[in-house]
Amino acid sequence: MINPGEFSTGDEDILDQRNGHTLPGTFQLEDGCIETSEASESRIIQSEANHLKRNLKQSSPLVPPLNFALVEDRIYRSGFPIPTNYPFLEQLGLKTIIYLGDDDKVKDKSKDKKKDKDKEEKKEKKKEKDSKGDIISKYKAWVETTDIKFHHLIFESSQEPFINEETQDKAKASLKIALELMLDRNNFPMLIHSNKGKHRIGVLVGLMRKLFQGWCLSGIFEEYEKFALGKSEYDLEIIELWQPELTFRKDSKPEFLRT
Amino acid sequence: MSEEVTINHPPKLRIIPPLNFCPVEHQLYRSGQPTIINQSFLKDLNLKTIIWLATEEPQEEFLDYCSINNINLEFVGMMDDYNYNYGSNINPWDTLSDSTIQKSLEIISNKENYPILVCCGMGRHRTGTIIGCLRRLQNWNLASVSEEYRRFTGAKGGRIQVELLIESFDINSIEIDPNMTPDWLLK
Repeated sequence: MINPGEFSTGDEDILDQRNGHTLPGTFQLEDGCIETSEASESRIIQSEANHLKRNLKQSSPLVPPLNFALVEDRIYRSGFPIPTNYPFLEQLGLKTIIYLGDDDKVKDKSKDKKKDKDKEEKKEKKKEKDSKGDIISKYKAWVETTDIKFHHLIFESSQEPFINEETQDKAKASLKIALELMLDRNNFPMLIHSNKGKHRIGVLVGLMRKLFQGWCLSGIFEEYEKFALGKSEYDLEIIELWQPELTFRKDSKPEFLRT
Repeated sequence: MSEEVTINHPPKLRIIPPLNFCPVEHQLYRSGQPTIINQSFLKDLNLKTIIWLATEEPQEEFLDYCSINNINLEFVGMMDDYNYNYGSNINPWDTLSDSTIQKSLEIISNKENYPILVCCGMGRHRTGTIIGCLRRLQNWNLASVSEEYRRFTGAKGGRIQVELLIESFDINSIEIDPNMTPDWLLK
């Protein structure tokens, strides 16, 4: 057993096994217990297989994306995946990804118009944009290497109290599409993500909890809060007040849908 | 072509999730202690096993609920030196013992026990310890394990003892039988 104040990484065990030694504690039998050679052999093989498997695993830990969690069976939520997360995502066997994000094209245009403005500011912005664009293009390239169906839906982040109606309508149209994709179990396993996995995804999950599963609002807000870390304003109202009309096919309805 | 259905209102019966409820993996859930108001919610989960991690007995009505619905309640929080030890001198603020963690993970790695709910009083530290060790078994990196643990700890935040316990947990101490393990744990 491990003494207080110190712990082992398990590396010693790996070394021992390579040298063909028996691992301490692995094949220990209770006093007075006799095992037939056949049974003990199969136990050893079994146990070796386990250890080999784990040793392989230990070589590179899996890194889930920011704010990753299971929402319902075969639906996952998270923030924006970066290259270190790709191996983790690959083992989920995803069929669909929904990304609720900003409209990059519109932003680029507005930046071009401001060409003659303060040079330094522009430089800085460009740098920022490039690194962001880099991550996004890497991500899109990774998605291309898989069979995942990718949906980029526009949902500008809320800037209370300055919400203009047009952006809000656009967001609602995107949410409707996302919700209907979630009502078709042929799209599972599915990842829904935004940039930080807090607000936009929180709204989508909240709507799903209300409309599909009939959770009480306080339960929905508690869940939202866990991921948003104390920053929630306008988002909660949309969950509470908006009632869209959604269509789905009976034969592909997901199990979590209550009526 | 199958029939198209339209929804334009939430389900008539509202259900109330237990405090700190969250799905962890396929048919594996975590939460604080459920109460009578969570009954309809729990019914849908169709639980077979509840891993109870607190050092004290749960409320009477919760015990009744489990026996009426044939849910197997595992009192692993009261374990001491590989034995169930009712009324022992374990303090509620102590971190989980090695045997509690080991027994819980054994239950979780056996698919015959599913669906499973892992819970303690508030669903924060004791539940967080077990889920954290499970994530280590799944080969998650430690930073992400801690991020998940803290998400459920409320305003006071995480406890360093719990994070140390998760970090020092020896994943090789858990024997896994590939024939009995849920698919997601084998990946």
